[in-house]
Amino acid sequence: MTAVLEASIVEQLVAAIAPVLGEANVLTSKTARYSRARVPAPFPVHRWAERVPDLVVLPGSTEEVAHVVRVANEFGVPIVPRDGGTGLTDGAVPERRGIVVDVKRMNLIHEIDLENRTATVGVGISMLKLNEVLAQHGLIYPDNPASYPCSLVGGRIGTSGWSLIGSRYGHSRDLVLSFDMVTPTGDIIFVGDGGGRKISKSSSGYQLKHLFMGHQGTLGIATTATLKLYPKAEAEFSAFWAFDDYDVAYKAVGALARAGIATFAGAVLFDEKKVEYLRRDDEAYIPQPESVKALVCSVGYGNSDEVAAGGRRMMRIARDLGARYMGDEISQGDWASRHDRYATPVHGRTLSGQVALMSWHCEDAAINYTDLPAVTREWHAIVEKLRRKHDVFDDWGMFAYTSSDTGVDYLTEIDIGIWEEKLDDTTWAAFVDAKREIAAVSLKYGGSISACHGSCREGEVDLVPQELGGGYDVMLAVKRALDPNNIMNPGKYGLDRAYDNEGDRR
Amino acid sequence: MSEHHAHGTEPSSIELLPIELLPIDTAQASSDFVDEWRNAAYNCYSSGHKFCREVCPVMQVTRNETWTPTAFHANVVAMDKGELDIADIAEDYVNCTQCGACELRCPNTLMLGDFYRFRTRTVDLVKAVRTLAVDTGIHQPQWKTWNELTDARSHEPVLGEQPVGQDSVREWADGLDIPIGGDDILFVDCEAAFYRTSVPRAVAQILQMAGHEFGLMQEQWCCGGPAAEMGYRDQAMRFARHNLDNWKASGAKRILVLDPHDYISFTEDYPKYFGAEFDLEIVLVLEVVAEYIRSGALTPRVAIEKTITYHDPCRLNKRKGVWKEPREILRSIPGLTFNDVDHVTQWSYCSGGGGGLAIEKPELTALISGARIKKASELSVDTLVSACPWSERPLSAAGEPENIDVVDIHEMLAESLGITVGGSRGAR
Amino acid sequence: MTSFRYQDEYTTPPARQITPTTIERFEHVFEVDPSLMTDNVAQQVFPNWDTKRIVAARWDHLAWIHTHFADSVISGEELLRSLDD
Repeated sequence: MTAVLEASIVEQLVAAIAPVLGEANVLTSKTARYSRARVPAPFPVHRWAERVPDLVVLPGSTEEVAHVVRVANEFGVPIVPRDGGTGLTDGAVPERRGIVVDVKRMNLIHEIDLENRTATVGVGISMLKLNEVLAQHGLIYPDNPASYPCSLVGGRIGTSGWSLIGSRYGHSRDLVLSFDMVTPTGDIIFVGDGGGRKISKSSSGYQLKHLFMGHQGTLGIATTATLKLYPKAEAEFSAFWAFDDYDVAYKAVGALARAGIATFAGAVLFDEKKVEYLRRDDEAYIPQPESVKALVCSVGYGNSDEVAAGGRRMMRIARDLGARYMGDEISQGDWASRHDRYATPVHGRTLSGQVALMSWHCEDAAINYTDLPAVTREWHAIVEKLRRKHDVFDDWGMFAYTSSDTGVDYLTEIDIGIWEEKLDDTTWAAFVDAKREIAAVSLKYGGSISACHGSCREGEVDLVPQELGGGYDVMLAVKRALDPNNIMNPGKYGLDRAYDNEGDRR
Repeated sequence: MSEHHAHGTEPSSIELLPIELLPIDTAQASSDFVDEWRNAAYNCYSSGHKFCREVCPVMQVTRNETWTPTAFHANVVAMDKGELDIADIAEDYVNCTQCGACELRCPNTLMLGDFYRFRTRTVDLVKAVRTLAVDTGIHQPQWKTWNELTDARSHEPVLGEQPVGQDSVREWADGLDIPIGGDDILFVDCEAAFYRTSVPRAVAQILQMAGHEFGLMQEQWCCGGPAAEMGYRDQAMRFARHNLDNWKASGAKRILVLDPHDYISFTEDYPKYFGAEFDLEIVLVLEVVAEYIRSGALTPRVAIEKTITYHDPCRLNKRKGVWKEPREILRSIPGLTFNDVDHVTQWSYCSGGGGGLAIEKPELTALISGARIKKASELSVDTLVSACPWSERPLSAAGEPENIDVVDIHEMLAESLGITVGGSRGAR
Repeated sequence: MTSFRYQDEYTTPPARQITPTTIERFEHVFEVDPSLMTDNVAQQVFPNWDTKRIVAARWDHLAWIHTHFADSVISGEELLRSLDD
């Protein structure tokens, strides 16, 4: 546990930062600091005080961010970048306290280029708000996570986010063309495909964009980004089908994903536990017959004629496998509510069936299609064991979402309810162990620990060196080279071991 | 109650009456507060999805996460864990207009609030924190003065140094020949009664044209809602008690309400204060008027050649689900070019005038109303129509440099009905 | 036109059991069986207008989300019928 900074040091930091950012943008109040300690991922509430930053700053420009980073280097104080704070792997959690750099004020739309179809924005903007403006031009920035109404562009870069409709439009790494970036030493660099701001494919130099996306704030702070825009879809198609049998649903999702339909934007498989869970409180599933054991949903976006043709093909594929279409009202309503149905604590139930307010933890992995059934079985067994041992956990079922337009791999998630109010050291440790076991299953089947959130939380982070092998050594070397003072979001991804003073230099 | 009320007189010089500070035990009061709000707080804290953030008017202009509904709930958890106390958190809760966007947009409300009969209640939480602050002796300076003056004058000091009180509360109705008492009582909020008198004049004359019989109160006081919003709950309840007793004494059966803030007070606060004793019918004038237009009792005929958009008042749209009738009324007015923005998009719009924000932090209200006017400006309109007197002052101020006129829907309808409204749209 | 009367708003309609854990008081509006909210979380006082407001807002919001992402929605029911043409 990191000690709180001495008041005199905080005063010196404020004195060094406030003249550049303005006093109103340097926050030291307890509420300012406590409210920037967590993200939606389950949080050991009983240890909240260990993760409270010493200072919060709200920069308004790239130069201001760079100034803060340089001051932090001078004082040797950690920096924790925070944008939406909606991530699920604790990237924005100040594990070593220090200065939280909250970039939400940087939310301007600097340019909309209608000819080249790009938008250049401050990273504090939300995709929803951006799209309200782009809609006036018939355009959309289709990066669509479950947290779409609240997550922000900067966090999407820091996490290298996954999009619900990524099988059609790509994910954040494909949609973010380039960005300005403040490095851990306070230098300002430009990162893109090659040197152009609006280039989607370059072969010039190292491909740094991938490196500077998904680092969870350990390699710097993106500030201004140029994004790739698409025509806003003329039409949307979403279909939900019910199955009496998981195996048939599994076949159907595979067939839909492999069908090569150009407007196909994603397919989702809901397993038996997920259906059981939805029957608790989802108006679409409460009246469904008991025979329904699994669901598949498939969606398309694009021009009306193309979406209709693709949708027709999807309907035929599903019908031929014996699927029951659930009707337009459920199909359209449920797809539109996908963003809203996740993180609602009242979903939680104790073993006795009583409602308990539980936090949603989504443990995700990238799993190949052929391994989905086995991973599903093994993950449920881990959570069931956890739940039987501690009645503060709940199994909320599993989803498998296509990540690409060929059906090669799936964002596979098990949703676990966690009664945070009741957490203590024992139950938290049990949870961390379960997460590690879940990650181990993913690796056993040749998958990746995370398709979507990142893998730097307690538990699964222990297995990242195993997953990446020699690549992890490269991560350490890069971290050491770019962040000589270990200022930038220290404590994440086990990167302390890149430094001599941690005694475990590799 | 001070004797100023009983005699209905305005003190010649403003003497601030001391607000009684109860010798309340802060620790006990805080502990009771946390017990009441713990589950509500965890229902937000343990989800942490923050879908409220981009609809919150304060957040949109400040981008400061300290002043989000999420933080407002997290603070309660931190109090429960002994990390924060009321003195740490009280001032943050100024930064809320109680527009209700956050609690409606919250999936805990929007997707499941009705299912569990358990929804997000940020507005009530903000009021509860403000009340706890006041009860434990933590005051915001402008709110303290405002409520002391309201207590002294029986109405809010909406005209600043100029007096408001019983002897002038019905001045807006001069020449309209409105009786006192009757089955239907028209209740006029402080801002409309003293500042934007054109609104109640328009309402009264529209109702008269439709043949709707109504009267005014014998002795109307402020509804008490603003005091409740700022944490002066005891005062709010005293005012509510006066009004209810006055209605009952005159045999009123129905209260006609023109102001969305009053509508909230009468349909949410008063039922909590009085329970089944509160057996009057509360009716929103907008809905009454829309029905008269539907039935043909009123037909707007005078063309108004303006390009308008409509501002959904937060307390109607977000907090009450009333958004159809105003559009129905506007579409019945000939000559208008109506560039509408749908009511769901407007969950994220606000004038900044609510929840006492304009009193304690006028600069923040100005940012919010400025942002709202900018949205109107993008639609190339010359007029922004609202249905809330409290929104119209900050919106007018923001609209002036943009050449956007701010008109109340009742004023506009009256004009189209050929009524010469009279009264004032601000300056007295 | 709606109006507010205390008795109308605070008298809860009778419940019909839908599933072992679900009831219905208003047509097409399901609610949790209140017996599930006795130990850890208590239900709130909920006037009838609030239930109706939330249900209406939910459908408005879902329609808005469709419009936000696309200009129109294609009916699966119609496509299914067209397969037999």
